[in-house]
Amino acid sequence: MSVPNGLRCLLRPSTTTSIPARIVPVTVLAASFSSTSLLGKNPLPPKGKAPPSRVKVLPGGHIRAGKKMQLGKFKKNKQVDRSRPPAPGERKAYRKRVTLSNNNALPVEGLEEMSPQAMVDPEKVGRMLALPNELVDQLRAVEAFKPTQTWNMFRQPSILQRKETRELAEKMQAAAGKGETLKLVISGDRLVGKSMLLLQAVSYAYLNNWIVFHIPEGQELTNASTDYAPIPNTAPTQYSQQAYALRILQFLRKANQKLLLDLKTVFPHPELVQHFPVGTSLLQVANAAKEPDSTWPIFNAVLQELTAEGAGRPPILFSLDGLSFVMKASEYRSPAFELIHSHDLSIVRRFVDLLSGKTKLPSGGAVVAATSRGNSPRNPSMELMIAQQEAKQGLREQPVKEPYNRKYDDRVEAAMRDIEVLRLSSVSRSEARSLMEYWAASGLLRTAVDEKAVSDKWALGGNGNLGEMERATLLTMRY
Amino acid sequence: MAAAAQSLRLAFRTANRAAPAFPQFRPQQQLSLLRPLSTTAPRPRRRDDDEVEEQDDEEDERSLENYGDVYAEFLRSDSMTEAEKAETKRAMDMWERLPIEEKNKITQNVREIRQEIYPLKRTMRAIRGSFWNDEERDSEMITNEFGEDDFEEDDITSMGHAKLEEHREMRQYARIAVWDMPLLSKLAKPFEPPSSEHVLRFRYTSYMGEFHPAEKKVVVQFCPSDLGLTEQQQSKLAKLAGPRYNPETGIIRMSCEMFEHQAQNKRYLGDLVETLIAEAKNPKDTFEDVPLDTRHHEFKVKPKFPKEWRLTPERKQQLEEMRKQALLTDELKKREGTLIDGVTRIQQALAGPPKKVLEDKVAELVAAGPRPSRSRTMGARR
Repeated sequence: MSVPNGLRCLLRPSTTTSIPARIVPVTVLAASFSSTSLLGKNPLPPKGKAPPSRVKVLPGGHIRAGKKMQLGKFKKNKQVDRSRPPAPGERKAYRKRVTLSNNNALPVEGLEEMSPQAMVDPEKVGRMLALPNELVDQLRAVEAFKPTQTWNMFRQPSILQRKETRELAEKMQAAAGKGETLKLVISGDRLVGKSMLLLQAVSYAYLNNWIVFHIPEGQELTNASTDYAPIPNTAPTQYSQQAYALRILQFLRKANQKLLLDLKTVFPHPELVQHFPVGTSLLQVANAAKEPDSTWPIFNAVLQELTAEGAGRPPILFSLDGLSFVMKASEYRSPAFELIHSHDLSIVRRFVDLLSGKTKLPSGGAVVAATSRGNSPRNPSMELMIAQQEAKQGLREQPVKEPYNRKYDDRVEAAMRDIEVLRLSSVSRSEARSLMEYWAASGLLRTAVDEKAVSDKWALGGNGNLGEMERATLLTMRY
Repeated sequence: MAAAAQSLRLAFRTANRAAPAFPQFRPQQQLSLLRPLSTTAPRPRRRDDDEVEEQDDEEDERSLENYGDVYAEFLRSDSMTEAEKAETKRAMDMWERLPIEEKNKITQNVREIRQEIYPLKRTMRAIRGSFWNDEERDSEMITNEFGEDDFEEDDITSMGHAKLEEHREMRQYARIAVWDMPLLSKLAKPFEPPSSEHVLRFRYTSYMGEFHPAEKKVVVQFCPSDLGLTEQQQSKLAKLAGPRYNPETGIIRMSCEMFEHQAQNKRYLGDLVETLIAEAKNPKDTFEDVPLDTRHHEFKVKPKFPKEWRLTPERKQQLEEMRKQALLTDELKKREGTLIDGVTRIQQALAGPPKKVLEDKVAELVAAGPRPSRSRTMGARR
């Protein structure tokens, strides 16, 4: 007991530590004589604003704090995002949003409207044609417009009538007139306007009151993103895609409503749950599909009715964008966990059978597919067959099939043996000029459109590659 | 004279040099005096009679001042044969017959030489306590050691010497180019392209006599079309060669480094080619059903300047006309007022009220999608 006390004697005398604060005597060092009253200083330091222990008071009276230990000073200041997270599907909707009009763009006067006659008129080649509103509704219904296309810059959707457009329209006209099926694949370089040409083909079909089955993206059918189920009693097993079939029926209902209303059934369809007597309008049958689960028989029935022979059916257009996705093994798996070939998917098979000529459209029509360059898997067989067709047309030299390449697909080659290929190339200068005049008239190109400006942009856009011209002119910050 | 003296000095030096240190340790005394086991090293006996020996040497030298003395000394000694004695006697007679001036001259000469070489004849002893005879003059250096590296302002710098050396070298090559090179043309042989009998082209590697593991490698190249084969046999040969066949050049290239010697490898390759040709000629299986495999070869396409892009006079004229036509079109459009200018269009639209045309063509009203929240608009794509 005495030892610690004795040791304490060796410490420096420090009043603040040893004596409690409340017994510290208030000593006032005042002047010997002062007129001001004495002010007792609070012996306790003010709470809260206690100065840090290592305060340095500079001569000017500034107080500089000493070093303080900061815990977690290397942690980043995280900004907490308190906004509402996007609802499911909202981001995708934003990404896939198609805007077809821009009120800031100037209206272009004197544009001709697209009409069945204008599309085959040689006079109209190289002119801009505005899409009529009903057509826009139909095209929007089948998702023929793409978010990557620059519709959102202009007042009204308009398309350049190209040489190839007229060629394609004439071919479709001839096929429908003869009751034959046009089997055509649109090929061409990247950004050259293949999807746009397909859109024009669809437009032609709608303007001429055709039935249109449009598949906006081939990959949606094969990349295992929609439901599928094996169809019983098929060998080799085929697979149905009911959700997608419902989507196609919805497209059909929206876009071809008037036409379907006029068409009457000719078969009794006992397999359907609902009873449709012969002579019911096809729209009624199509409207019966409400749920994906019950869609498949109705989809089959509608197709059967539309391809009924001798019933005065209108011509049909089957169109598809992104051909290479349906010309290879899909990403679906069979029950044995083997990859299913795309041609075993029933919807794809119908399309491919028509493309190969295995089945025919009784009242004529067309099967048009567009290849894609931006998003497309390598497909040697498809490329080979297209190249062979192009070689037949004298557009290139005969391709050689590599003898030791194992990636060729016999089914694809069989399907594409007898097709026409429309190779889409660059636009001519006169076509480019009318397009650029349209841009300038819309207030998007702030120069005078003379020959110099046209050849400038034409050369800059890879000698008239429309997409590249657009990128070089509209999508830059230059103007 | 100086050179002769120098060589003489060197000769004497080798003869008179006392063997340093080591002979002193030779046990000249009786070994029995040494202790059988001792921790101290044996030391040589101290020599006290050095001066005595030197005096003896001088006496000897003094007695032999000229040839006559030498011959007399020889005759006195009894270790000589009769023939030698006769020879010496004859020489002695010749010496006796010499005139006295000659004799004196010779005697004088010998004395001078003796005097000159006297310091050299003395045995050089290692200086005790020196470290590797540091203090001794280096007698093997023929040149004068001292001050020879001092620069005496009578020479150019070493850089100057290097420059001169370079100049000399260039001149040497120039001389070779002018005088020797033209002579090489005499050795030139006219080029003879390999005849149809020399269809194999071998490549060897030499490392100029050095040993190298790749020295034994031999490469052979040949073209199937040179071998006098039919079309079918040629294609079979190409298929047999597999990845050794280059489909672009049509050459088969094979190598061998399997054996120890170059000649063996070459022999092997020759045999292999023989076998291949024999097999290609064998009509039993013509490999017609097998396609030629070219997966090993990458066909490179070199982009060339297209012919159509060449600016020929015709093309220039064509371009000129096109430009003229373009100018004409523009001028025409300007006059008609159909030339569209984006800037004026915008100004018109900003200035004037909407025209009547607009009213019957109302832009399609599009349902706007869900408005994205403000924080999202920044990252949204166009």
